[in-house]
Amino acid sequence: MDKETRKEPIRLSEINFTPILIAFAVVFLTLVIIYLIKKRSPRRTDILLAGLCDSGKTLLYSLLLNGNEVETFTSLKENCGIFQIEDSKSLRIVDLPGHERLRLRLLENYKNSTKAIIYVVDSTTVQKEIRDVADFLYTLLADKALSSLNVLILCNKQDETMAKGKQVVEQLLEKEINVIRKTRTSQLQSVDNSSDKTMYLGKSDKDFDFSQISQKISFAESSAKNKDIEQIISFIKAL
Amino acid sequence: MLDLFTIFTKGGIVLWCFRNINEPFAPSINALIKNILMQERGGSNSYEHNNLTLQYKLDNEFELIFVVAFQKILQLAYIDKFLSDIHLEFRDKYKNELTSQGREFYNFNLSDEFKRILKEAEAWGQVQKSIPRTMRTFDESHKSKKTVDSMIVRKSGDDKSNVNTNKKSVKIVETEKVNAKNDDYDDINGNADNEIALARKKLADKFTKKSPADKKKSPKSSSSSEKKKKTDRVWELNGNSKDAITLDRSKDRPEDIKSDFTHLDKMVGQSIGNIKDIEIEEESSEEEDSDEYEEKETKSQAKKASRSGGMLSMFKGLVGSKSITIEDMQPALDKLRDHLIAKNVATDISQKLCASVAAKLEGKVLGTFDTIAATVKTTLNDSLVQILSPKRRIDILRDCLEAKRNNRPYVMTFCGVNGVGKSTNLAKICFWLIENNFNVLIAACDTFRAGAVEQLRTHTRHLNALHPKEKHGGREMVELYEKGYGKDAAGIAMEAIRYAKEAGIDVVLVDTAGRMQDNEPLMRALAKLIKINEPDLVLFVGEALVGNEAVDQLVKFNQALADHSSMENPHVIDGIVLTKFDTIDDKVGAAISMTYITGQPIVFVGTGQTYTDLKALNARAVVHALMK
Repeated sequence: MDKETRKEPIRLSEINFTPILIAFAVVFLTLVIIYLIKKRSPRRTDILLAGLCDSGKTLLYSLLLNGNEVETFTSLKENCGIFQIEDSKSLRIVDLPGHERLRLRLLENYKNSTKAIIYVVDSTTVQKEIRDVADFLYTLLADKALSSLNVLILCNKQDETMAKGKQVVEQLLEKEINVIRKTRTSQLQSVDNSSDKTMYLGKSDKDFDFSQISQKISFAESSAKNKDIEQIISFIKAL
Repeated sequence: MLDLFTIFTKGGIVLWCFRNINEPFAPSINALIKNILMQERGGSNSYEHNNLTLQYKLDNEFELIFVVAFQKILQLAYIDKFLSDIHLEFRDKYKNELTSQGREFYNFNLSDEFKRILKEAEAWGQVQKSIPRTMRTFDESHKSKKTVDSMIVRKSGDDKSNVNTNKKSVKIVETEKVNAKNDDYDDINGNADNEIALARKKLADKFTKKSPADKKKSPKSSSSSEKKKKTDRVWELNGNSKDAITLDRSKDRPEDIKSDFTHLDKMVGQSIGNIKDIEIEEESSEEEDSDEYEEKETKSQAKKASRSGGMLSMFKGLVGSKSITIEDMQPALDKLRDHLIAKNVATDISQKLCASVAAKLEGKVLGTFDTIAATVKTTLNDSLVQILSPKRRIDILRDCLEAKRNNRPYVMTFCGVNGVGKSTNLAKICFWLIENNFNVLIAACDTFRAGAVEQLRTHTRHLNALHPKEKHGGREMVELYEKGYGKDAAGIAMEAIRYAKEAGIDVVLVDTAGRMQDNEPLMRALAKLIKINEPDLVLFVGEALVGNEAVDQLVKFNQALADHSSMENPHVIDGIVLTKFDTIDDKVGAAISMTYITGQPIVFVGTGQTYTDLKALNARAVVHALMK
């Protein structure tokens, strides 16, 4: 037994180094490739449907993706689906829950891959809830990861008689953001010290208006109940 | 009998629905989602809204929710069985459709199965009812489930963890026994001793490690105010009638009106004396924690997962997966619960939180490289962040502006038990409001404690010295509305608000006397104050030092406000001020307990002694400190 297994002493000069070197080269290359793939910033392909609770986001989502009306309840999680644009191009539509407890936590997951935001506003209650509507919109617009995007502010529920038109909503929002940007910047510091001061939107010497900010803002009207969503589709196609 | 049965996704899209009567059910179901599922109260599975009882079941694998609604007066015993039966049936029938893309829009049809299963369940319910109730056997009782071990009362947590580590090492010995059958016993015993010694050492390390963190707390750099000259000490009980004038503090004397502060002091508008970062050496402690479960898990799981994912996460999809059961989670949950309690979260709240996490995860499919411990931990982490995130907008400045526009003052009431810092934090909030150019009226409604009014007067004087009239266009920034002691607090508050309205003051801060939550007459008085004056914000001031007591305080305050107001929708606590946050290092559990009970946000956090030591809460930082 012992005799058979005993080997000739190995001499360094006899070893063929080429396969070892090749192996090393291959491993090295793979690591480099993986590193590059990881490092490359994610492409922005998502369209966010954001807005307060009960503004009709989930219904719009289902209309966009499937074309038919469904019954909906308050969302606990986000809905994601692929929206096909004719020429083999597709975008992902993300329907964010509108509840305060969830929206900011879930927004974190999507904000680096967002291409455009559709901010859905309930036109019937917008006047009463303007402080909340503007507050969330301000949070979105002041986010550094979401600067220089297209934002469509969609005045939904136009089928209702008390619904406000898009000009009215625009005025209301501008006026409200003008106030919010002052109160936001004088907010208390947070306990962990690391908080970056919230961005001040627009020019400080003039009253706020949507043309002053880096995002491209447009307004549209829709009625998810009557399946009137042409303006959204044309917005998405124009991206 | 059932009014509604519906299946919907967690995204909120209804897959299938059965309704008996035509009535809008959406409000009830939305209330269920908002009040139960979003608040991490997932422990029990029923909820009452209006005149309906709703029962639900979660399917975590396919992310579905099954809800049954029926009239509240009905006592239906078969609902649990019905829900689990139809859950299984639905899953079996649409196994493939549920995993595919776009499942939200598939045309599910379940009416036949629904009718059949409902009929079966009803029959089962009838049978159950007819069976006479028998006594439980010993095996069924709770007592049989207790081990002898659990009945022995241990002195402290110290002991308990010691036992745990011992147990663990014993387990390791056993596995070694199997591996090394041929070794002689002496060797094994030696090993065991080593293991125990090692475990002990680790434990000791863990405890000693905490002390440097404590030491890090250094005294705050406070504002440098001029040192006053030493004056003769006057002993309180030593004086005679001549000294009465100097001892009387109820009237301002000329030298008192001069405040030690001037507006030129550095302190104005600056934040000095911030609390230390809740920054932690994350890696080390987390690693240690996970080691303990992972050793237990090695039996069921061959490989140690790399937590961060990395390269292995690419293969996650390729390898088989398993779904989690309650039994699998139990050790991890128990450990996390103990951890939460150690961090000062109230006991029953940590229990409820763990139950809710268990309900959230049961049946979920786990990737091969995810450990149960890690999954449970991240889920709990998310839940905690969710609890601490406010459920409504907090922008007090904005609301003050709104009130100003309507030509009325914005009224905030402070309540709480004795000595938690109501007046101190009221002064800090007052300072913050003045800095933002609101003028404030402080209503001294603590008409009971000696010196309460004087305390507020001193604060007023200092605040006015820091923000003199000249800097604010001749407006007096802070005023005190006082009516002395022994008067009715509700009346004083009402007069103060009326005065503020006439004088055009922007904000009224109402300071109330501290009261024990069990003191019924005082609670009644507080409810009256709130009912009469209808403040915009009722803030509960609680200290971060409390543990289990936090639950009792808040529940009773809320209950008292609701009970004694004799109104349809009583105004209960709608915000929390968490004080003494700088004293607790990383035992931040009170923040969780308080927000969990009321569901209300923590609006302010008091972190020190100076006017600028007022902060807002950062949910992520707190959860980080809690979970480390």
